[in-house]
Amino acid sequence: MKRKTFLMILSLTIPILILIIVSLFLKKESPVTINLWHNYGGQMKNLMDEMIDEFNTTVGSKEGIFINVTSISGSETLHEKLTMAANGDPGAPALPDITTAYPKTAQLLAEKDLLVNLDTLFDQKELESYIPRFLEEGRLKDGGLYVFPTAKSTEVFFINMTIFNRFAKDNNITLEDLYTFEGIRKASKLYYEWTDHQTPDIPNDGKAFYYSDSLFNYTMIGCKQLGFDFISNHGIDLDHPTVQKVMESYFLPATKGHYAIFDGFASDLAKTGDIVCSTGSTAGVVFLSPSVTYEDNTIEPAHFTILPYPVFEGGKKIALQRGAGMCITKSEKNREALAGIFLKWFTSPENNLKFVTSSGYLPVTEEAFEIIMLEELKQIQDPNIKNLLPVTRDMQKQYEFHITPLIPGIDEMEADFKKNFNKSALDARESYFQAK
Amino acid sequence: MEKLFKHTLNKLNRINRPCFTMRFRLVIFLILQVFIMLTSIIVILFITGTFSAGRNESKKIIHSELKHSSEEISERYGILSVQAVEFSEKLSRRLEEYLDENNLTFDNLRTNPEEIERLLAQVYELTFHSLQLSSCSGAFLILDTTVNPELESSNYSRAGLYIKNMEPNIINSSSPTITLLRGNAKIGRKNSIDLHTQWCLEFDIKDADYYTLPMEAAQKHKADLPLSKLYYWTSPLLLPGTSEEVMLCSIPIIDSNNKILGVCGFEISAMLFKLSHIPNSTNIYSRIFCLMTPMAIDSNYIEVNHSLVAGDYTLKKTSSVNARLQITENQDSFTIYSNQNNDEYLGYHVPIKLYPSESPFQDTRWTIAVMVPKKDISASITRLNIIYITLFAFLISLGIVVSITFSNKYIKPISEGIEIIKSGEPEEAPKTNIQEIDELIDYLADYKKELNKKMEQDTYQISLLEEFADRTKTLSPAERNVFNLYIQGYSAKEIADQLFLSINTIKTHNKHIFSKLNVASREELILYINMLKEIGKEL
Repeated sequence: MKRKTFLMILSLTIPILILIIVSLFLKKESPVTINLWHNYGGQMKNLMDEMIDEFNTTVGSKEGIFINVTSISGSETLHEKLTMAANGDPGAPALPDITTAYPKTAQLLAEKDLLVNLDTLFDQKELESYIPRFLEEGRLKDGGLYVFPTAKSTEVFFINMTIFNRFAKDNNITLEDLYTFEGIRKASKLYYEWTDHQTPDIPNDGKAFYYSDSLFNYTMIGCKQLGFDFISNHGIDLDHPTVQKVMESYFLPATKGHYAIFDGFASDLAKTGDIVCSTGSTAGVVFLSPSVTYEDNTIEPAHFTILPYPVFEGGKKIALQRGAGMCITKSEKNREALAGIFLKWFTSPENNLKFVTSSGYLPVTEEAFEIIMLEELKQIQDPNIKNLLPVTRDMQKQYEFHITPLIPGIDEMEADFKKNFNKSALDARESYFQAK
Repeated sequence: MEKLFKHTLNKLNRINRPCFTMRFRLVIFLILQVFIMLTSIIVILFITGTFSAGRNESKKIIHSELKHSSEEISERYGILSVQAVEFSEKLSRRLEEYLDENNLTFDNLRTNPEEIERLLAQVYELTFHSLQLSSCSGAFLILDTTVNPELESSNYSRAGLYIKNMEPNIINSSSPTITLLRGNAKIGRKNSIDLHTQWCLEFDIKDADYYTLPMEAAQKHKADLPLSKLYYWTSPLLLPGTSEEVMLCSIPIIDSNNKILGVCGFEISAMLFKLSHIPNSTNIYSRIFCLMTPMAIDSNYIEVNHSLVAGDYTLKKTSSVNARLQITENQDSFTIYSNQNNDEYLGYHVPIKLYPSESPFQDTRWTIAVMVPKKDISASITRLNIIYITLFAFLISLGIVVSITFSNKYIKPISEGIEIIKSGEPEEAPKTNIQEIDELIDYLADYKKELNKKMEQDTYQISLLEEFADRTKTLSPAERNVFNLYIQGYSAKEIADQLFLSINTIKTHNKHIFSKLNVASREELILYINMLKEIGKEL
């Protein structure tokens, strides 16, 4: 009787098992589409398209993953889109499976429990190959890893040598002067006067020499170099003498037109020859236009040199560590795991190398960094990237790196700081020139 | 008699001994019945086309997606074409007003670059609003002039304005998603919009059909065709120095004196197209996609690099392996689209009209196609059929189990009945409550009773015969002779003749024989003799 029952159960369960196996098999046949938002547009779009294509046709095809890019936005727009999506605002698109995000955005999403703790997708051994301070920046609430380091950067000094050489020839200025903010200030005064003298019939039409992509970072890193924490748990202290000193170091030249006041990226001003040099993210290197277009449509080729982030005299060599990483949003476990496969592939030394050598980002694994410096540097086509990587490698060795503390409301503080600084500087500039 | 009964039982026992048991036969019959029924169902499903339902359903889905996409795209492009006409008319008025106010002619602009900048700054707002009002990703105007005619490149350089919405799919956004792709940077800075990362001051019109074709058409037809017939849609293209493919609708700007001032229009970016026209059935076919391409009537291929694609499947890979899709149409089935890499897609395509009749560009045909990778459709159909087959296998297994169970249940009382019969005491057996078996047992019980009764009768008859045989020994020799002849079947007269005796003497012998053998008549005597003969008793 037992045998008969067993046979009966067997004959009923076998077809069900076959059904399950077959459906699992067929499920794998049709790949899972993983939506990706990233901020690598413009010049970097082709690189991302190529890499995603390569993933889809190799690992993706094998593992049943299809990466589909559904948004390419600037960092700020992406931040806003993600915030809107996280809040479920009307008109907001649904969150993608993978998105690039700055830690401040990721923190917002992590607090709403929308992100996957990546410690669950990567084992300890895998994580050990990544540069620890990059991983550290992605550890948010409860110490969980929510932002995976894919494209880290620091800030450096970019200078259009075509214009600078012309200027330096007539003035007693060398590149060495530009290693300190004080030197930059001195050069900017001379540059303004030099450009003003070129059109003697138009007074006060000198040009700005320098622009900082982020005045907030300029102040934060300047203070840090001079031994003061601009951001504390209580917010930002604008009255501290060190903060005052750093802010004035920009405000005063800006008032006189020596530094630019602008609500945008330095690359915009550089394209039209409205500045000569700037500090900004290493990622900005791909946006350095190979030419400057003047108002009369004459186009002049532009050759850039990259220097380490300037230091205030008497200050420590400190630079900002910045850059977005990639986050995986919570969905089904299977989708999360597949998204993790893409992140592993994307940051593996060989692919990270490809990404890094075509962009201004820093390698995220020590292995990739070593390979670049030893083998890949000569192969890099883009002269600006070729210049950049040794500078960042030197900075890795000589500089300390500071990460923006993620205190509540940091986003608004940064926006207000920038807005108020720009307004005050513009007002002061107007008064200055009226008085002149 | 005992032997007779056992013989009957043995016969019954032999029924249980053949190669196939009743249970086995019954199981086989039932399974056969299940097979026949399921096979009949399969045949019916085949005849009614249920097995090809997966394919038919796929066809229906793709047809419906194609209908929806082509209508939606037709409508969108139609509306955008109308908006481009309005944009051109408004621009033309605004440009004329500006030139009049400043006592300038359009040709004066060539020697007056500051005026070009001011003029473009004047029309920025109109361009921005036109972009905001239309569901597109960019708006542009190109004037037939340049800020620096002295430059070598001035033949192919044209002043203008091109603003791009980087996030046309977000309905409300406070962040600056509008960027300036072409035009004086001061205009962008004044209006707080960033320069596009691939910004240039002017348009490069070398090989720019979006500029030259509408300008030529306007030159040729400005007198005989209204503006609404002069717009032109480009194939997807990369503007010089940019990375994203766009499709442009451009239309000439013609002033009230029929002077052609330039072109203006709108842009649909590859990303906008991709996100706007993703087919709805992505939950069924995750890689379904919609494609828009220019295609000549008699063409049997699609140039992928000249197409916009919407959907979760990036057909347009950066490699050029699948740059062209060969079309193979089938009368009753999907159209097959295959590339050089032997990737196959199944789907349908329809032509759509982007131009009105009489348009100088009406010969350019556009096609909308909706496709799915062939292996996805095959997998979906196979999945459905495997589900059917597994279901049939499951039903057959269930049929076998049920057949075995039913056979056991059915045969059980019969087996019990046989056991009862085998026990030899059917009359004492309990009722099985199966009518036929109880009747058989009752019958066998009655039969046994009758058999017993008969046995008793037979025993009595045998004792009478044995007594009769013993009495024959009391006959005298003369009587014995007569009796023997009776045994041989002779009649009284024949016996008289045989023994040479008179009939009376025979009668006397008869009387003695009857008396000694205790029979009443000759007939009774003959009966005894015959009965003894039957049982083989010698007299």
